[in-house]
Amino acid sequence: MSHSNTENIKIRVADLTFSYRGRRILNDVSVDFAANRITALTGPSGVGKSTFLTTLNRLWENIPDARMKGRVEIKLQGKFRDVYARDLSVTELRKQVAMVFQTPNPLPMSIRKNIAFPLKLAGEKNREVISSKVENTLKMANLWEEVKDRLNDDARNLSGGQQQRLCIARALVLEPEVLLLDEPTSSLDQASTTVIEELLTGLKDRLTILVVSHYLEQVIRISDRVVEFADETIVS
Amino acid sequence: MKFRTLEGLTVLFSWAAGLLLLSAVSLLLGYLLIKGYQSVNLSLIFGDASPLRAVLLKERVFDGLFPAIAGTLVLVILSIVWAIPVGVAAGIYLAEYAGSRVKKVLDVFFDVLSGIPSIVVGLFGFSFAVFLHKHYSDRIGPCLLISSIALSILVLPYIIRTTQASLEGIPLDLRLTALALGATRFQNIFLVLIPRSLSGIMSGIILAIGRCAEDTAVIMLTGAVASAGLPHSLFSQYEALPFFIYYISSQYANPDELMQGYGASIILLLLCAGLFSLAYGIRKGLNYWAFYRP
Repeated sequence: MSHSNTENIKIRVADLTFSYRGRRILNDVSVDFAANRITALTGPSGVGKSTFLTTLNRLWENIPDARMKGRVEIKLQGKFRDVYARDLSVTELRKQVAMVFQTPNPLPMSIRKNIAFPLKLAGEKNREVISSKVENTLKMANLWEEVKDRLNDDARNLSGGQQQRLCIARALVLEPEVLLLDEPTSSLDQASTTVIEELLTGLKDRLTILVVSHYLEQVIRISDRVVEFADETIVS
Repeated sequence: MKFRTLEGLTVLFSWAAGLLLLSAVSLLLGYLLIKGYQSVNLSLIFGDASPLRAVLLKERVFDGLFPAIAGTLVLVILSIVWAIPVGVAAGIYLAEYAGSRVKKVLDVFFDVLSGIPSIVVGLFGFSFAVFLHKHYSDRIGPCLLISSIALSILVLPYIIRTTQASLEGIPLDLRLTALALGATRFQNIFLVLIPRSLSGIMSGIILAIGRCAEDTAVIMLTGAVASAGLPHSLFSQYEALPFFIYYISSQYANPDELMQGYGASIILLLLCAGLFSLAYGIRKGLNYWAFYRP
């Protein structure tokens, strides 16, 4: 299932097959995703939507007893790169293809350190640069005003919605080109969901966003395209 | 109805077990305090020597527990210093790197190690000292170094198992968080997983400290003696509180001497409490330093 506008393609997936503990999850999936769009991945539980996301940033490789075949290419810095090629470091890939999980998962550290964590991983040591990026990213995630006076507090003390925005901010701090979100609002109330939906809509000019969602209304509200999963493959 | 009765019985049994444990600990501590509190004074620790001069190492203590307290403290610290790096590294290996086959073999090995009686570990230490004495230098014999190595072997399984269990208990989401942000496996382990497991790892270290401080079988075969003064080198024999308690309770000539044994037990408990508090403080400090320092 290919996207019509080849100029604007950001992600190309071809013949992707995935199995976990011997059970086939995805079978021969081929699909393209356009750049600077929000694409919603929908379908019943257990059809491999979340698994599909982990094949784009190779996170599945940390899950024991999982196997994958197929080809995934992502346009990074203007050039298509084979995600599984030996010359592409997995850590570099994940800095460009960030991911936010279903349950908010702030690291057990302060708000500031959570946001600065990816910068630290990337080797950034300049405190001024770090402070400025932390502030800018929190502003981008519409969280700055709520936390600016308690940046050294434990991030786990934030509300669920704030924690999820913190996780989105943390994923954005290295300025990735692709953002993968696995049901980011499923554990949140309506008010927090609305804030995050607005945030995602505002981000699509800078990023390519793939979001797994079960909620039809949400899919209609925020997505430019819907990809539906069923029976180990994509049906629409 | 059946399940409600069963649940009620389970809750009742759990409460009773908790209460029994609390009573046993209170009884033991109360008994020790009642028996020994009168003998706990400066004279028990420093004998006829001046406390200040003794602490400043200007006067030797002949008839007090000061050398045994110092010996125990040095012994525990040395043993823990040997055991922590090996135990934590082995725990990390088992939890994060070992394949399932290697893990099975090592699991059995460490289970066997944790089941070895301390007297056997003591005998191993003694044999090791004899071996070194015969083949390397006749100046080496049972000493502080041999005791601390033997004790560290004894407590290794505690540290390995608690490190392994703490790391394996981290939820998959948190385990993948740093990796998804571009962390290498090594960064994930050392920047997220280990700091997150500090509490569990420190529990193992606290258990190990307690075991090192109380074990008598190992040290009586590997270097502890009734009278040696303050430990002055790794290769010297030394005095230790558990050995003193064992010695005095089996050889006492009159009730006053036995009272000293109770007094020494209270001091040993206080020493352990001090070391536990120190370990707890270090954990809190490390946690703050790693995660919340501005």
